[in-house]
Amino acid sequence: MASNKKYWKSVEELNENSSIVEKLRQNEFAEDLPTDQFLGDKETLESSSTTRRDFLKYVGFTTAAASLAACEGPVIKSIPYVIKPNEVTPGVADYYATTMADGYDFANILVKVREGRPIKVDANKLAGPSCATNARVQASVLSLYDNNRLQNPRVKGKPVNWTTFEKGLTSKLNELKTSGKTIVFLTGTTASPTTNKLIQDYKATYENVQHITYDAVSESGALDAFQAMYGERALPDYDFSKADVIVSIGADFLSDWQGGGFEASYTKGRVPKNGKMSRHIQFESNMSLTGANADKRYMVKPSEQAQVLLNIYNAITGNGTAKKTSVDAGIQKVVKQLKAVGSNAVVVTGLQDKNAQLVALAINKALQSNVIDTASTRYIRSGSDANVSQLVANMKAGKVGAVLTFGVNPAYTLSGFAEAMKKVKVSVTFAMSDDETASISEFVAAVPHYLESWGDVNIKKGHFALVQPTIKPLFNTRQFQDTLLNLMGESQSYYDYVKAYWNSTVLKGKSWNQALHDGVATKSVTASVPVIDGDTVENKINAVSAASALAASIKGSDLELSLYTKTGLGDGQMANNPWLQELPDPITRTTWDNYLVISRIDAEAKGLVNTIQSNGAINGSKVNITVGGVSLENVPVYIQPGQAPGSVGLALGYGRAKGVNKNMIVGLNAYPLYHNFNPHQAISIEKIEGIHEFACVQSHHTIMGRENEIIRETTLEEFVTKPKKEWNADVVVSLDHQETPIENVTLWEKFDDSIGTKFNLSIDLATCTGCAACVIACHVENNVPVVGKHEIRVGRDMHWLRIDRYYTSDMTVEKGKEEGIYGSGDFFEAQSHPSDDPEVAFHPVMCQHCNHAPCETVCPVAATSHGRQGQNHMAYNRCIGTRYCANNCPYKVRRFNWFKYFDNNEFDFNMNNDLGRMVLNPDVVVRSRGVMEKCSFCIQSTQEVILNAKKEGRPVKEGEFNDACACAAACSSGSMVFGDINNEEKIKELSDDERTFRLLEFVGTKPNVFYQLKVRNTNEA
Amino acid sequence: MKSVNQDSKPLRLFLSSLTFVLFFTMQLFAQSDDAENGKKIFNANCAACHKLDKKSIGPALEGVSEKRTREWLHAWIKDNNALRESGDADAIAIFEEYNSMPMIAYPNLSEQDIDDIIAYTDNKPVEKKADVGTVTAASLGIDSLQVVTGKKIFNANCAACHKLDTKLIGPALANISDKRSADWLNSWIKDNKALRDSGDKDAIAVFDEYKGSPMTAFPQLKDTDIEALIAYTSHASILDAKTKDAGAEASNVAEVAPIPWATYLVLLVVALFAIWVYFIGGNQFLKFLTTIAILIGTGYILYAWLMGIGVDQGYKPIQPIAFSHKIHAGDNKIDCQYCHSNAKHSKLSGIPSVNVCMNCHKSIAEYNGPVTEEKDKAFYDGEIQKIYDAIGWDKEKLAYIEGYEQKPIEWIRIHNLPDFAYYNHSQHVTVAGLECQTCHGPVEEMHEVEQFAPLTMGWCLDCHKKTEIKMESNEYYAKIHEQLSKKYGVEKVTVAQMGGRECGKCHY
Repeated sequence: MASNKKYWKSVEELNENSSIVEKLRQNEFAEDLPTDQFLGDKETLESSSTTRRDFLKYVGFTTAAASLAACEGPVIKSIPYVIKPNEVTPGVADYYATTMADGYDFANILVKVREGRPIKVDANKLAGPSCATNARVQASVLSLYDNNRLQNPRVKGKPVNWTTFEKGLTSKLNELKTSGKTIVFLTGTTASPTTNKLIQDYKATYENVQHITYDAVSESGALDAFQAMYGERALPDYDFSKADVIVSIGADFLSDWQGGGFEASYTKGRVPKNGKMSRHIQFESNMSLTGANADKRYMVKPSEQAQVLLNIYNAITGNGTAKKTSVDAGIQKVVKQLKAVGSNAVVVTGLQDKNAQLVALAINKALQSNVIDTASTRYIRSGSDANVSQLVANMKAGKVGAVLTFGVNPAYTLSGFAEAMKKVKVSVTFAMSDDETASISEFVAAVPHYLESWGDVNIKKGHFALVQPTIKPLFNTRQFQDTLLNLMGESQSYYDYVKAYWNSTVLKGKSWNQALHDGVATKSVTASVPVIDGDTVENKINAVSAASALAASIKGSDLELSLYTKTGLGDGQMANNPWLQELPDPITRTTWDNYLVISRIDAEAKGLVNTIQSNGAINGSKVNITVGGVSLENVPVYIQPGQAPGSVGLALGYGRAKGVNKNMIVGLNAYPLYHNFNPHQAISIEKIEGIHEFACVQSHHTIMGRENEIIRETTLEEFVTKPKKEWNADVVVSLDHQETPIENVTLWEKFDDSIGTKFNLSIDLATCTGCAACVIACHVENNVPVVGKHEIRVGRDMHWLRIDRYYTSDMTVEKGKEEGIYGSGDFFEAQSHPSDDPEVAFHPVMCQHCNHAPCETVCPVAATSHGRQGQNHMAYNRCIGTRYCANNCPYKVRRFNWFKYFDNNEFDFNMNNDLGRMVLNPDVVVRSRGVMEKCSFCIQSTQEVILNAKKEGRPVKEGEFNDACACAAACSSGSMVFGDINNEEKIKELSDDERTFRLLEFVGTKPNVFYQLKVRNTNEA
Repeated sequence: MKSVNQDSKPLRLFLSSLTFVLFFTMQLFAQSDDAENGKKIFNANCAACHKLDKKSIGPALEGVSEKRTREWLHAWIKDNNALRESGDADAIAIFEEYNSMPMIAYPNLSEQDIDDIIAYTDNKPVEKKADVGTVTAASLGIDSLQVVTGKKIFNANCAACHKLDTKLIGPALANISDKRSADWLNSWIKDNKALRDSGDKDAIAVFDEYKGSPMTAFPQLKDTDIEALIAYTSHASILDAKTKDAGAEASNVAEVAPIPWATYLVLLVVALFAIWVYFIGGNQFLKFLTTIAILIGTGYILYAWLMGIGVDQGYKPIQPIAFSHKIHAGDNKIDCQYCHSNAKHSKLSGIPSVNVCMNCHKSIAEYNGPVTEEKDKAFYDGEIQKIYDAIGWDKEKLAYIEGYEQKPIEWIRIHNLPDFAYYNHSQHVTVAGLECQTCHGPVEEMHEVEQFAPLTMGWCLDCHKKTEIKMESNEYYAKIHEQLSKKYGVEKVTVAQMGGRECGKCHY
C-alpha cells in the first residue's frame, strides 16, 4: 500500500540531513538570479563615473526611445500562390499516410502537412497497433529540416550535378567489370521488397554484385537462431497480451529489442481484468525501461544471464543439470509459474548469441507458448554479422572493387571499416548528411529524407506499407533507388517501379490509390513449413546441443559491460536532432549525454561519486575504460540504482562528430567497444581526475517534499481481495475537526460545469511504460523550445510534459523473511541502501488544469485564467513574468522562458535557422522571453475539432478529442486518454474507475487530470 | 509600397487634443446642422432604400429640401403613415408612386438627427448627370438610348467572346457595320450555322479564320436588339465620353478634403489664453487652474495617443497592383468568397492566387469602366497586365507562355493580427454566418481597401458579448441547447456566455 512505501527521485533524497534536498524542495527556482555578476563587484560599482542621476536619465531616455521605436508597425507582405494546388488550402492541414523505415525504426505513420510542410508525425491507426510511433519516430520530422543535410551530390569533395555524378560513377563501375572485383551494396535493413529487388536487378548489369545487410545494433543472433529453427531469416512476432507470465532475460522489449513495437500488446495484459493480469519477471544487468516495468526484477550480470536461461531451459525440458547462480530462488519460482500457465507463458532473451536465442525458442516451444508467433514473421531486422565481418575482411584483402553504402554509417558504427575503405577503389555513399562515411567516400550521393521519398516496406509477413513523399525535395537530392535505376540505364522512375511491383505482386487488382491513401495493404501469405530431409527444420534442430554450446561459452569476468541503446538516440542516426538530445532518458532523467552506468557497490569500491549541486545539478566522476584492447577516455560515471553489481552499461549512438551541429557533438562513441557485435564485454575501468557535469532533470521540479503523496500503487492481491479504501482511500481533510471528503471542502463558489464540453485527461500508471513518445509529441505540437545542455543543468528545461521516474523500495522484516535474506548481511544492505534494488514507477505530469487552480489566484495581471471547458488558460501576451504562478503551483508544471530561444545564436538549435523553423506549428505562438508557459491541453487542436464539428453541423465524435491532444494521440499503450467527460463514455468510465486518484488531492485543487494507480502483480505462485 | 499611408502620428495626437479641447465647446457645435453626422445617420437608417443620386426602393434624396419643406420632411420621416392619413396630398402621391409600399417610420430619430440628414442631403454636392454625351449624340443623330441598350445586350451575350477593339475568342466588333450589312449580321447572329450552310462565303471565311470554332446562335434576340447591338458597336465611344466626364467630376468631388481649420483656431485661442494668464494678466488662482487644466489635458492626450499605438484603423497601404474592390465586388458584384474562397474553410481568408484572377482576366484584358484624369484606361490596363506578368499570359496569343518564370504578387497585408491572437475566418463566416462587411466595412465601395475595424481586443469582445449563437440550425449545439433550456430555461446564449470571452480561446 502506498503509505508504507518511500518514493524518491534521486538517491540524495534518501539522506535525511541533506540541506540541498531541503533547498530544492522549498525553492521553485533553484538557481538564484545571478545578481552578483553585476552587483557583486563593489569596487567597479564605486569607481563608475555614472552617477545615480545620470543613470536615471539614461533609463528615462531609453524607455522613451524604446516606446517611440515600437510605434511604427512593420509592413507585412502576404504572398499568395501564383497557381494554387488544389489540395492545399492555406490554414488547413492535409494528412498523408506513409511509413518510416530508417533501418532502426519502422512505423506506419500519418503525417500532418500544413501549406506543404510536414509538421507532425502521428500513428496511422489504419495500420493497426504494430510498430508504435516511439519518441524517435515522432521526432523524425525535424530531421527533414536539418541544416546539416547534404544539399548536392559530391564527387571527391566537390559538389556536382547529377548527370556528372552518375556518368562518373558509371564509368568507374564499368572499369571494375573487367577487374573481376566485387561490387558490394552495404545497406541497413530496408525491409523494402522493391529496393531489395532493384539490387537483385542490378546484378543483371554487373555480375559480381553482393548485397550485404548491416544493422548497426545487431539482432543477428536471433535471426540466425530463427533461421536455423524455422528456416526463414526473420524474427518471430510476440503478442504479449496473451501472456500470463512473461520472463525476459536481458530483453528490453519495451524499447528497441528486435525492433520494438511490443508495448501496445504488453500493456493490454497489465491492467487487472477479472482479478487477473500478467506477471512480468525480468533478469537483467542495466536498469532498462522493460526492467523498470517488471513486477519482479532480478539483477544479474550478463554472463550469468546465459546461465539463468539455461537453468530455466533445463528445468522446463528436464534436460541437463542446473548450475548455481545468484538468483536460484527466483529461477525456481519462475519455473513454477511458467509450468503453471504453460502455453500462456513466454520467455524472451536479449542475449546476442545464436545458441542463447535457440534455447529461448526451444523453451517457448516446450511451453507450447501461444504468445510467440513464428508464422507471422517480422522483417525489420535482417543484418548478418558474419557477412559484415567477411566484407570487412574482403575489403582489407583488396578483393572488393566498390562499396556502395545506403542507410548506414559504418565509418561511425563499425570499427575497422574506415581503415578497410581505403583499400576499396570506388567508395560510394548514399547519405542524408555529411557523416563519417560520407567524409571518406569518393562519391557522395545526397538522398532525400523519407518524408520526401517513395518506397515500400514489408514490416511483417503479409503486411505491406507504402512510403510516399509529403513535400517536394528541399534540396538537390535523388533517391538511392532512382540513381540505381539510372545506373542500370532504365528510363522509368522508382515511383513507376514501386507502382508496377505493387500492382503486380501486392495489390493484384486492388486500387493503388486506395493503398496510397491507407498507407498499408495486406496480402495473405500462406506460411510454408520448410522441410529438410523429409522432416521439418523445426524438429531437426537440436536445442540440446545449442544449450551445451551455450553452457560452454559462458565466460564471466569481474566487471562486465552491457552496451545498450537509449530511448532518445537509438542507434545514433538522428544525433543531430535537438529534440531527441534534450529528451530526458526515462530511467536516468539525463539529457545530452551518454555515461557509464554503475552500481553503488562498484562505485564505492572504485571511489566514484555522483554529487548533487545546490542548484539541483549533478556532477559525476570520470573514468577511463578498456574493452578488448580498445580504450575510451574521460567517460562520465552515473550511479544507477538497480544496476547489477559487477556490471556497467554504456549507451551506443552518441559521440557523432561529422555532419552534426557543434552543439550536438555530445557523449562518447561506444561502437568501437562493440566487438563481434556482442553488447556484452569484459571491461576494466580506472578512475581519473576530473568532474563531469550532467544535465539531469531528476532533482528539478520537486513537489515540495510531497513525493510520498503522489504515487499510488498496490499489489494485485490487495486490489482483488481488499476493499478500495485499503489501497486507494478517498482523501479526507479535517473541517471543523471532522474528517470530511475533500470534495466537500472548498473556499470557492461552486461552478456548474456539467453542461457543454469539459476536458479531462486520464493517465493509467499501470500501462504507462515511460517510453517518452508523449514528451516529444508535446514538444512538436506546441513549439516547445530546445534550451541546450547548460540550461537543462540549471533547471530551466522547457518540457511541458515530464515523466517523473520514482524509485521505491519496501524492504521490511516480513519481506526480508520471505525473500530469505532476513538476518543476513543482504537484508541489512537492502534496508540501509534501498536504492540498490528499487522498484520503479513512471509518472507523467503536465499541467493538471485544476478547477481550483492556485496559479490563477496569484497572477497579478490575470494572465492565467480558467476556461469553461476546464482548461487553465495561459495568455502569453498578458504575462509579465512575475513567476508567482510557478511558485504557487503544487505540481511544478509551469515553465519560464528565461531567454528568447528563437533567432538567438546562444541557442543554435532548430529555431535559430529558417529551415528548422519550418517545423513550427503555425497554430501555436512561439513564446518570447519573460513569459510563463505550460500545457494547454492542446487547445489549438481541441478548438479545431469543435470548429470542424460546428462547420459540419454534427456533434463531436467519440475519440476525436483524444486524437487531437498530442500526448494522448501519441500514447501507443493507451495509457493516456483525453476526452470530454460530459459527453464521452470512455473518459467518464475511467474517472469513475476505482483505481482512479487525483494528484495531491488533499490540496483541494480539483484537477482535471486524473490517474489510475499502478498495480504490481506480486503473486509468485 | 514603400510609402505607407497611415494616419500620421502628429495628426492623431492633434485630433486627440482636439477631442479634449472641444469637450468644453461641445454644446455649441451640437446645435448646428452637422452633415457629417447626417451621413452616419443616413447610412444607418436610410441607405437601405434610398440613394442620393438615383431612385432605389425609395426616391433619390439629393436636394430633397428644395422640393419639400423642412416641417413636412420631419413629419414624413417620423411617421409617414400618420402624414398620409392626415390627407397630405404630397404624401399620398409619393406613396402611390412607389407602388403603395410604405416607408418605415422613424419615431426614434431626434429633430436634430433629421436636420442632420437634411443637411447631408443638401450638402452632398450634386453629381451632375453628364449630358455632354447626349448632346453629342443628338448632334450626330444617334439614338443614345439604343446605344445604351446595345451595350447591355452586348455585355450579356457577346462579351464573353468578343471585344470591340481587339480580337478575343471571336473577332473585334467595333464598327462591324462598316464591313457587313445589317441583314447579314442579323442572320449571322440569329443562326450562323444556317448562314454558313446556305453557302454564304463571308460566313464560311469567318468560320475558317477562327479555326472552325462555331459561334453560339442567338435566335432569342429580337431584330430591335440586334439593331441596338449594331448601334453600340458603331457608337460605343459616345458612352465612354459620358462616363469619363462623369468620372472626372466624381473624382473632383472626392478630392475635396475637410480642413481642420477649426481645431487650429481653438488651439490658438487656448495657447493665447495660456500666454495671457501666465505672462500678461491673470491672478494666481487662474494660473493654478490653467496649470491643472493643461496637465490633465496633456495627460489625456498622452493616454489617448498611447492607446492608439498598434491600432491601424484606416491603414491603406499602396498595393503592388491598384486592385479596386469597388470595380470587382461593387460594380461587377463578384461575390467576396469567389476570390477569398478560403474564408469558409480556413482560419485564413486567403488572398486569391493568380490563377483565380485568370478565370476572368483571360477574357478581360482591358478596362472599360469609368476613368479619371490620373487613372485613365491605360493605367487600368497596365494594372491588368501585371497579372499577366505574374503568371505569364500572352494576351495576343491568348495562351500561357511556356517555361515562363512566374512571379508571385507581393500584396501588402492590411489586417494584421499579432501572432499571439488566433482568429479563424471559417468560424465566423461558415458557422456564425457573418457578412464580410461586418468586420471589413463596405469593401465593395472601396477602390483601395483600408482597415475598417480597429481590430482591438475590445472590439472583438464587444461583438462576442452582444452576439447570440445560432443554435437552432446546427446539430452541434443540439445537446447543449436542450440541456441549457432544461436546466436553466435559457433559449438564447451569447458567444461570451459560451466561453467566447475566455483568454485561451484566442491566445495560444
